[in-house]
Formats: sequence, C-alpha cells, structure tokens
Amino acid sequence: MTAAKTTVSRAEICVGACAELFRGDGEILVSPMSTVALIGARLAKLTFEPDLLLTDGEAGLLAEVPVLGEQSEPAREGWLPFRRVFELLAHGRRHVVMGANQVDQYGNQNISAIGEHSRPDRQLLGVRGSPGNTVNHRTSYWVPKHSPRSFVEAVDVVAGVGYDRATGSAGRFHDVYRVVSNLGVFDFDGPQHRMRLVSAHPGVELEEITEATGFPLHIGEFHTTPEPGQEALELIRTRLDPKNLRDREVRA
Amino acid sequence: MAMLLRLDEAIAELVGDGDVVALEGFTHLIPVAAGHEIIRARRRDLTLCRMTPDIVYDQLIGAGCARKLVFSWGGNPGVGSLHRFRDAVQHDWPVPLEIEEHSHAGMANRYVAGASGLPFAVLRGYLGTDLPAQTPNIKTIECPFTGERLAAVPALNPDVGIVHAQRADRAGNVQLWGITGVQKETVLASARSLVTVEEIVDELEPVPGAIVLPGWAVTAVAHVPGGSHPSYAQGYSERDNTAYQQWDPIGRDRERFTEWLRASVFEEAGA
Repeated sequence: MTAAKTTVSRAEICVGACAELFRGDGEILVSPMSTVALIGARLAKLTFEPDLLLTDGEAGLLAEVPVLGEQSEPAREGWLPFRRVFELLAHGRRHVVMGANQVDQYGNQNISAIGEHSRPDRQLLGVRGSPGNTVNHRTSYWVPKHSPRSFVEAVDVVAGVGYDRATGSAGRFHDVYRVVSNLGVFDFDGPQHRMRLVSAHPGVELEEITEATGFPLHIGEFHTTPEPGQEALELIRTRLDPKNLRDREVRA
Repeated sequence: MAMLLRLDEAIAELVGDGDVVALEGFTHLIPVAAGHEIIRARRRDLTLCRMTPDIVYDQLIGAGCARKLVFSWGGNPGVGSLHRFRDAVQHDWPVPLEIEEHSHAGMANRYVAGASGLPFAVLRGYLGTDLPAQTPNIKTIECPFTGERLAAVPALNPDVGIVHAQRADRAGNVQLWGITGVQKETVLASARSLVTVEEIVDELEPVPGAIVLPGWAVTAVAHVPGGSHPSYAQGYSERDNTAYQQWDPIGRDRERFTEWLRASVFEEAGA
C-alpha cells in the first residue's frame, strides 16, 4: 500500500483537489477550463457528484464521461448553445474553474494583459467571461504554475472580481470559492477575505508556498491535501486520462 | 431581397476603408474566405468586432487591415495565442492596434441591443473590474425600479456584418444550423450584411434547430463552398484541426507570415 501511495503524481493530487472543488455542487453546470480541472470535474461526476452537468466544450451536455485526448462521440443528453449559457450563468447555477495569469490576495484575477491595458508588455487572451462569471456565480481558479509572477500583490488588470471590489451589485452573488495551484489549495477565509492556505500538497513545504506567493498569505491551521483514493486513481489513470495529459500541465 | 454576388464583388461593394466590420461565427461557420477577400481588397483602418477573434482576425490584423479590435477573447482555439494580434498591440506591427475589451456577455448583449434597435444593453457584470476605466463604452446605471447599480454597454451596430451559413435560396433567404453564436444579431444589427454560403438551393428544407435570416434582412449572399475553412460547416465539412496548429509557427514570425500572405492570400486569387 505504501509503495502504491508514493507513486501518486503531483498532477494526480491536483486532479483530486480540483474534483473536491465541486463537492456539494449538485445539479449545476460546471465549466473547467484546462486539463487538470477538466479531469477533476469528470472525476467528481463519476464519483461523488453524479449530477454535475458537463459540456463537450461546444454545445452538448454530456450523458457519459469521455476519455481525454481521444476522438469519440460521447452520448449527449442536452443542448446548451452559447446564448443559453448566459441565461444559465445569470441565474447562478454554474461553477466555473478558470485559469489566472495573475491572482491576488483578494481573488482578483487577470487574464487580460500584463502591464498597461492600452499598451501591454504582454497581451493575454482577453477577459472572456470573467467580469460576468465572478459577479453571478461560484468561481474557482486553477493555476498550474504557482510563483510570485502568478500570485501577485495586485493584478495588472482586474478581469475577475475579488473580495475587496465585490461591493454593491458586484457583491450580490459574488462567490470566489477557492484557488488550486500545483503547490496547494487556498480559500478566502483569511481576515478581510484575504487568501488563506487550506492545504499543502503532499511533499510541499510551507516555506515553498510562501516563497512562491507574492503577498502575505494567511496561514492558520492547514492540512495536507489528501491523495486521491484507490478508486479515484484507477479512474484517472485508466478511464479519464490514459494518455497522461495531466502531466503536461503539472510537472512532478 | 438579398443580392447574389461573387465574393470579390460583395467585399468591394460592402466594405470600405474605416468601416466597423464584424465577421462573426462561433466554433464553426467562421467566415474565413470573406476575411481573406478583405485582405486582398487591401482595406485599411477597419474597426474589427468579434466576440472570439481567432486566426482569421490574426490574419486581418497582420495584413494591416485594422486599426481597432473590439473583442472579449482572442486566441487560436486549442492551440494558444494569436501572435500577429499580440505583435500589433505590443509593437505596433504592421500598424498600431487599439483594443476595446469586453466580457462575452457584454459583447453578446451589445449585438442584441443593436439588433433590437435599442441604444444600450444592461447586465450584471463589469462592476469591480478594470474594464470600465479603459473605455467610454462601459458605464454604470441605476435600475429605476430597485436602485441596483448595473453595467450598461452601447448597442453595437457595425457598418458591415459578415457571417457564413450552410445555405441560401435564390431570393437570398439564409438558413444556418448547428452551434450558432451571435450571427443572427450581427446581421440584424449591421447597416449592411454579407452571408457566404456553402450551397445555393431552390428551396430551404427545414432542419431541426435551424434559423432562417430572411432575404429582406440580408444585403448580399455569396456562394463560397468551404468558405469557413479551417473551421467547419456542420453537415458540409469537418474542422481542420491541423490547420490551426500549423498557423502557430506562421503567426509567430513576421517573415513567415508575410510569405504566407503572398502565397496563400494574394496569389490564391489567381490574379
């Protein structure tokens, strides 16, 4: 048993942590935006959250969970084209896990530009749904490279709204839940909704996390991120991601 | 009743320098051939609008057709960044590119307001972000009933709206199906519109989930089979994923891009 445990990869721990984001969500639309978060959502659906609604990335709601990286025609149980997503997200029945080029201690997220918005040093992909997602329904972030460049004191452009700005109408349905990185899991239950360490991934020292974080992280009681159980590992390795695409996003 | 024109005639007739132009499409039905024709026509100073600009916008920007981009996400889907777009924003190459950034919902609602003949759209979103400070086109308003403060964005009414569809009849009624984005709103919001189609038929047989744009709402239709390649037209073609991957090294390099323009856009015309 011990031998098996030591072989659990960091990516698999991150998949397990991303799956946990959805615990208790029930029958809502979940929109994970990259590989590890996607495997995590599918793992949650196959295990403890069977009612989660997952899309095929286009407009179909999946009735079964397909294998990552394989051409397949999974059965669909619903049709959710682009415009319907707006209605659904304004109603709040969605949990999105977005990426963040930068995230700060209040959970403000930047995917727009590094530097000045009008003349950036690095033009990023654009805010996409962040300005609406973050003020309408639960939002989490998955950051595969935790560093002082991604966990910053203040983001260059606020695309997704953090707790310090979630006032008035922007605060009505604001719910930035958690951040999962390659080093740990974080929430915003520190003082004044500042980022707090929930758990450090196995093998990660606290110092490694604080050094990789560009602001003072709230450290209270925290635990070690649980490894996925045997059934979950089996699903990740054989059913969900047999080509091990997860390791491309998170280096061991 | 829409005019049936050749693609080059349609672009020459409908798109002028300095126009606000939206080439919309979502996942499939992206009007790529029409974009290439705009490059061949050497249009300049365009304000390009699109919710999710992908490689055809990278090409238009790299070719120097645009002075401004109005968008909510710009990338090479499934591959990465748009390098011509980044080069223009960061280094003014080949010409400076101003950007106006919105959220997806903001863009969609702007088109809806434009199509509805309303001056603006209202939504919960933007508040708390840095976007309102970057453009005069996002303001805060107070709901007259509840007092809640919400975001307002002005209607988007392009000079020209361009979309690709599966087919049209000879009167210029257009039918499209599959994943539709904001094509209907774009056509209805635009002063002039062009639809490129896979096929022109005598009669539009009903298709489940299809929408029909009536000929009186469309300025011109051009028969351009494969006009959405490398995206696809459901029922007619498959997505060419390799082409999206191959775009990355071309788009990264100014010289390779310039050579691509010459060989694949200008010479392709068979002039």
